Amino acid sequence: MFEEPYRWVEAVGNRRQYLDEQFQQGSPVVALSYADGILLLTVSRGTPKLYEIYDRIALGGMGHPADLEKLRFNLLEMAHVEGFNRSPSDVTGSRMVKYGLAPVIKQAFEEVYKAPFIVKILLAELGTKPERDAFLTINYDGTFEESKGCAAIASTPMIQTEVIGSLRKDPGLAAASLGQAAEAALQAWAIGALAQRAEKEDTEDRKERSSPSSASSPDAMVIERHLRETLADKTIECAVLERSAPGSSKYRALKLQEINQLFPKQSLTRLS
Amino acid sequence: MGMEGDFFQLLKERGYQFSAPASASEAQGVGTAEITKGTTILAMKYRDGVLVAGDRRATAGNMVMYDRTDKVLEIDRHSVMAIAGVPATAYEMVRILEHSFKYYRRTQLQELSFEGKLRAVAKLLKDNVAAALAGTGAVVPVFAGYDFEQGAAKIYFYDILGAEFEGVEYAVSGSGSPTIRGILHYLNTWSDRPLSALPEEDAIIQALRLLTSAAEFDSATGGVNRDSNLYPVIKLITQDGIQTTPVQQLQSLFEAKVARHV
Repeated sequence: MFEEPYRWVEAVGNRRQYLDEQFQQGSPVVALSYADGILLLTVSRGTPKLYEIYDRIALGGMGHPADLEKLRFNLLEMAHVEGFNRSPSDVTGSRMVKYGLAPVIKQAFEEVYKAPFIVKILLAELGTKPERDAFLTINYDGTFEESKGCAAIASTPMIQTEVIGSLRKDPGLAAASLGQAAEAALQAWAIGALAQRAEKEDTEDRKERSSPSSASSPDAMVIERHLRETLADKTIECAVLERSAPGSSKYRALKLQEINQLFPKQSLTRLS
Repeated sequence: MGMEGDFFQLLKERGYQFSAPASASEAQGVGTAEITKGTTILAMKYRDGVLVAGDRRATAGNMVMYDRTDKVLEIDRHSVMAIAGVPATAYEMVRILEHSFKYYRRTQLQELSFEGKLRAVAKLLKDNVAAALAGTGAVVPVFAGYDFEQGAAKIYFYDILGAEFEGVEYAVSGSGSPTIRGILHYLNTWSDRPLSALPEEDAIIQALRLLTSAAEFDSATGGVNRDSNLYPVIKLITQDGIQTTPVQQLQSLFEAKVARHV
């Protein structure tokens, strides 16, 4: 029986490996502040991955749709009950993650006899002023990170860093128009998606290669081609939290027509 | 878990009680207590949609509690509830409705239908019957909004028990409403055009005149007070959403088209 703790550590390790594999095929989610608010972007096949949580909070998710739904409902319940009982300004992403979502995900992850949540979640929160915009990302084990300016979720933390790095390269994004922000977000998404593909190929033929391939950041041509291939059977999904939107709800999912206008190159390739 | 997307149910599960059931002994004491009440509110169709207006006064017995009350409350981007009766209950209802409609939209990923919204109002009123009859919580609202399925802005009014009636041309509520109900009927039937044909500005002028008439004959309705720049709240609902008429516009229309006739 005294072996149990070691088995538990091993089981958690196995679980990590299992979960990492689950996300390899997933589509990264990118979010960033721009001049009029926050933009969220991903590329999906049918099932939406971007959602409205509360007046100023949006969610982007990766992973199993059923798990994502369950946690989305948890968040919605929490946010609306809190917003009703106290006030809408007391509903903050940080409190919901720290005291609501993260403990639930961590517990499921560590209870090795039960199924973990196959999810990674990004919360974007529109501040009353641009400098108060905040982003939170939660991993499948319940660890979370807060950031400013932009955030991303992808299959591994390394790729996440790579995506964020590509967004941070342009310091002018905070003052960018929706069009510029959308273009940058799509580029960052493609960099993440390409890195995930490379990573997956790496894992598959790890036996042949001793060291991981030195992944230099892909050039514009490669990104362009990848986007063209991906968007043949998937669609860009965009949502914004607009600071100047009338009323209390600031979330708006962009309609197909608007998305086509934002990405004229991509919509043309899709039509041809 | 929330397949139903019912926020009111969720609140109840969390132990929230909307309307305290009034016992007989509590109710007896009420006759002497002075409860805050109002009001004249009106909603009428005009050329582009629906206009909803309300005076600003809240009274308790013959005391004026407050002269800057907002009784025309936006529930979401396309619906408005104007309230008459006990403000404490009415504001609570508005808060519940606001959260209910948002919660439904966010959980179910589609807007609650206009009929669904009407039912939600009726349900709250029904839950409130005990308090309404005891005299501590009577609310008689007018609900107006844009019905996207029918492609038209609509008006509904309720009794304190929750029965819902459509106001085809207009609806009124509150202590000052008997005065203007007759005027509305007269205007709609015998003026050169029905209310529903009025352009925006004419509709606003009529609303200002109607509320001024109500204030003339009902002490619980607040009129325009030019010295303190106090005007009624007027909101316009169209397909594009809700628009609050700015005070400057009310001011100039009042000077030009209402005051000189008084």
